[in-house]
Amino acid sequence: MTGEAGVATASALEVAGVVVNFQGLRAIDDIHLTLRPGEILGLIGPNGAGKTTLINVLTGFQVPDHGSVALNGVDLLPLKPHQRSRLGLVRTFQNVLPFAGLTALENVEAGAMATGMARGAGRAWAMEVLGRLGLADKAARRVDTLPFGEERRVGIARAVAMKPKFLLMDEPAAGLNDAEAEELQRVVAGIVAEGECGVLLIEHRMPLVFRLCHRIQVLQHGATIALGTPEEIRAHNAVRAAYLGDEAV
Amino acid sequence: MAEPSTPVAHNPLHTALLLALILLVVAAIAGFFPPALQRTVTQAMIMLVVVTGLYTFCGNSGVFSFGHIAFMAIGGYTSAILTILPGKKEVALDLPVWLEQIQLPVSVAGPVAVLFAGLVALLVGLVFMRLRGIALPMATFAMLVIVYVVALNWQAVTGGRQALVGLPRTTGLWTGFGFAALGLFVAALYDRTRHGLALRCSRESEVAAAATGIDLERERLIAFVVSAMIVAAGGVLFAHFLGTMTANTFYLDLTFVTLTMLVVGGMRSLTGACAGVALVSVVSEVFRSIERGFSLGGTTIAAPPGLQEIVLALILLVILLLRPHGLAGDWELTLPGRSQR
Ligand SMILES: Nc1ncnc2c1ncn2[C@@H]1O[C@H](COP(=O)(O)OP(=O)(O)OP(=O)(O)O)[C@@H](O)[C@H]1O
Ligand SMILES: [Mg+2]
Repeated sequence: MTGEAGVATASALEVAGVVVNFQGLRAIDDIHLTLRPGEILGLIGPNGAGKTTLINVLTGFQVPDHGSVALNGVDLLPLKPHQRSRLGLVRTFQNVLPFAGLTALENVEAGAMATGMARGAGRAWAMEVLGRLGLADKAARRVDTLPFGEERRVGIARAVAMKPKFLLMDEPAAGLNDAEAEELQRVVAGIVAEGECGVLLIEHRMPLVFRLCHRIQVLQHGATIALGTPEEIRAHNAVRAAYLGDEAV
Repeated sequence: MAEPSTPVAHNPLHTALLLALILLVVAAIAGFFPPALQRTVTQAMIMLVVVTGLYTFCGNSGVFSFGHIAFMAIGGYTSAILTILPGKKEVALDLPVWLEQIQLPVSVAGPVAVLFAGLVALLVGLVFMRLRGIALPMATFAMLVIVYVVALNWQAVTGGRQALVGLPRTTGLWTGFGFAALGLFVAALYDRTRHGLALRCSRESEVAAAATGIDLERERLIAFVVSAMIVAAGGVLFAHFLGTMTANTFYLDLTFVTLTMLVVGGMRSLTGACAGVALVSVVSEVFRSIERGFSLGGTTIAAPPGLQEIVLALILLVILLLRPHGLAGDWELTLPGRSQR
């Protein structure tokens, strides 16, 4: 287990000793996690490992049975989801959850509004973000009329428009074709570079994870089984056995 | 690269402007109608104010309210108490002396009544907006019942079972038109704000809205107060249109008619609200005249009473079955060359 800076800095997203039980099923079992600004941390693990549940704990949609969650030293547990996202803790959803009956532009504008921008500035910013995700010509389209890959990109644009300090992405590349996944990779690298944003990336596409992430944390049955640089994870026997298997890495 | 100035967004103010122009034409033509028919058009204009108010809350939030007619009652009774001659109030009611002695012009009493209804909506909404799912519509219905029962029994203030009479009848065709247009613009202005957008987002997904920093309770409360005030303005207009009222004036009949207008037209669209009011008003008028009877070759044919309500209920059912989002759906009337919302 590594992590160059070992010590937890005040400016970070920190999870300590979190436990979540669902009627007898321990979905999260004493997880510790630190996400620093400017860092991309991969969170991988087999189906049902507890990855989405951890994001739900971080964003306030799931109350943990034990443990603490803090953003830049501020305890998040008393805060509601909308208050946490206003602090810059932003997520995307595994099933996208777009504002389906609204246009792509309105979806992304809603994200821009969360930054406190005025209406006009928010619209211009939303158009810019749509452009970055290659959706400028889809701005006026209702999201439920878009193909799935574009719908997922709208969900990502909505999150990016919120100018996150920490962005938690739940399988952002699922359902995207290879070109779209490439594009996504550029977008994620871009927001990290320009905004000093920390990204938690949940993803099943291993090549993408290993290329993009600075560190990777591996979950199994709700517990961390490995944490390290991509090289270290690649060499980790337990991880190979538990998850990576013969997948091309 | 994106062009931020691309006119990709629908502007609700354009819709309000076009709808107001249509209303202007309707009002101008109705000026030539016989008085009875002119009153029907005036009443439709008032209903449009109420339905526009309903749209502001229900349309944007996706949450039904069965109780907004209570705000009509609050607006109507407040304005009545402030405008009826002190002498008449002394006979019919049992008010504190200062309230009995007040006699304001409708132009002052109306805004006071609307503000009072807004205050009530704020206090009620602070509690109600915590409710989720079906609990919120049911709570609004409970509010309607409470306001009705109070109006029916608070003899000293509302006249109880006696009709309250002697209101200045100041609502004519053009007043009705003016406030219908004003209501449309207020609704469109609200739609354009960040609060309107946030509430529509919560309508689509409460979870995603929370993740986007939207405070559901607060946004619903804002819309609830705005919509209650628009509906209360409709109540003031209606009270001064009829010149008299009882608790039953603002109860289930009106709740059914206005919700039918909203749903038939399409509650997600301002254009739909107008279309619903127009359709339901025309159908009601036609079947009311059939109920009254008409002569055909010497014999008078009259339909059984209640036909009008049954026809409206059938129209509502057909729409619910075939076009659950109403006639307009999400469509808005807009200036040519602009894309739709
Ligand atoms: N609300 C819930 N109630 C009961 N059990 C739940 C609930 N949410 C998740 N679980 C269970 O908790 C475990 C962890 O689920 P979670 O969704 O976090 O996994 P995941 O790592 O995101 O998996 P995937 O890769 O399939 O998305 C699973 O066994 C799941 O069935
Ligand atoms: Mg998951």
